[in-house]
Amino acid sequence: MSNKIYIALALAGAISLQAQAINHKIDFPKDSPVSLLSEDFGNSNATARGANLIEVNAGLSLRNSSQKRIRSMTLMVSTPDAAGKGSVSVPTLDAGPGETFSVHIGTRLIRPLTAGNPVVEVTLDGVLFDDLSFYGPDVLHSQRTMIRWELEAQRDRKYFKTLLATSGAEGLRKEMLSSLARQGDSSQRGVQMVRGRATNLDTERESQFAFLDIPESPVEASSGMARIGASLAGAPRFEVRNRSNRPVRHLEVAWIVKDQQGREFLAASMPADMTLVPNQTGQVVQDAALRFDRPISIDSMSGFVSSVEFADGSQWIPSRGALDQARLRQLINPSPEEQRLSQIYTRKGIQALIEELKKF
Amino acid sequence: MAETDLALYAAHDLPFWRAGVVRFHVRGCGECRGLLDALCADRQELRRSADDMPANVDWDQLAAEMTANIRVGLAAGECVTPRERKVAAISWRPAAIAAGLVVLLAGAWWLNIPRSDTETIGRALRDMATGGRISATQEERGPVVGASSSGVELLENGGRMGIEQRGLEPVMFSVSTQGSASARYVDQDTGQVTITATYVQ
Repeated sequence: MSNKIYIALALAGAISLQAQAINHKIDFPKDSPVSLLSEDFGNSNATARGANLIEVNAGLSLRNSSQKRIRSMTLMVSTPDAAGKGSVSVPTLDAGPGETFSVHIGTRLIRPLTAGNPVVEVTLDGVLFDDLSFYGPDVLHSQRTMIRWELEAQRDRKYFKTLLATSGAEGLRKEMLSSLARQGDSSQRGVQMVRGRATNLDTERESQFAFLDIPESPVEASSGMARIGASLAGAPRFEVRNRSNRPVRHLEVAWIVKDQQGREFLAASMPADMTLVPNQTGQVVQDAALRFDRPISIDSMSGFVSSVEFADGSQWIPSRGALDQARLRQLINPSPEEQRLSQIYTRKGIQALIEELKKF
Repeated sequence: MAETDLALYAAHDLPFWRAGVVRFHVRGCGECRGLLDALCADRQELRRSADDMPANVDWDQLAAEMTANIRVGLAAGECVTPRERKVAAISWRPAAIAAGLVVLLAGAWWLNIPRSDTETIGRALRDMATGGRISATQEERGPVVGASSSGVELLENGGRMGIEQRGLEPVMFSVSTQGSASARYVDQDTGQVTITATYVQ
């Protein structure tokens, strides 16, 4: 009996000895427009299980130390030897000079076992101000995304303010209820994107993309093809033409998948860095495959140009009018700002929402 | 002639050919004949004394006593003889040792093998079981980013990075063909929107 107790104690000891504290490093540049007021990494730890399993649960309290209003911020989270990088962004900030705000980081990383305590690094990737100026190293190319969030926020606030002016509080309330219904009716599916080739040679077939044309879009997409297999679709390729009078350097196409039951959902986005002078046509080829976490029989695919970045850094996004097409309205996710506003309506009511809109 | 052979001859216990030899010898040897006569006389005396029964024997009483003694003997034998036990098909000791080994191996595996490796081995075993039909459909060479209701994650070179938000479920999530996955969370208390993402390096 005593041997069994020793074995149990040894196992318990071995398990408990694996947990260890993590070192963390928060590195903001000296001229950063955001300063760290306090940090709490109390619930973070690392466990050695063949590799280091690092769990970060941290809360940061930050202050806008610049003279401009901050609209959004992205922090980069990484650890040496870990796979890839992660980020935590707050896209709907409205922090004036001297104001404070908080960010929570919840991350789980696995990296190879190395000597010493694991280190988690939190760095500033970018800060976007209300005048669309940007600060930060932009390692994750977050500037483009943060500008798009801000453009969407400006578009949606303007839409709701116009609605308030034309239809009153009742019109705004109906629109909020409609937005909340769409948010609750999401038909999203878990999906993985495999970079490089991921194919099933036996069952793959070529399938055409049908592109939804948004008349105001500066880029037109056409002649799309992709390979479809069992619960996966890959190797998409399509043509794009710059039909604006400004050179384009980046665009994104939304990828919509329809299953054999007729259900459509937004499966992925296909960003492409490419230079297109006015009226130039280009080919986009992606070496990636989309794989669904549940079995799905793909019936057809479609797409539409969801954003375009011009050579001067300015961006085009679809207007609310374009998104009001019944089909797009059901598929496109509401902007972060629309979600924030609908949350204000849900928690505080229509009057609080009207007051919030008046701030901008 | 050995005395034992004479005794056996007297009791008719010698084989036929040896009995003939003894008989032939005794005819010519007075000493042995005298010894044989003595042995035969002893046998007859023993048989006679065995045949004499005690006086006043009550046969019925004797039979009843013998039957009772036999029953008492059987009962006593039941008490002192160990009862035959049924032997279990598997003794608990080997089972306990096997269970301990399983626990030790599972613990060692859990402590030392990353989950991604376990999943890879599991996939390989499933492939073997299905004759490779699964691997043919999911041949993966590059990093994988994923987005689901449990957050976003990146799998690359045996490493894994997953990002979640305090147990919240994302209100929406997406992946991009350039190798990123993102998930959007809304804090129901503060209304703050947070977007987490992973990126292939």
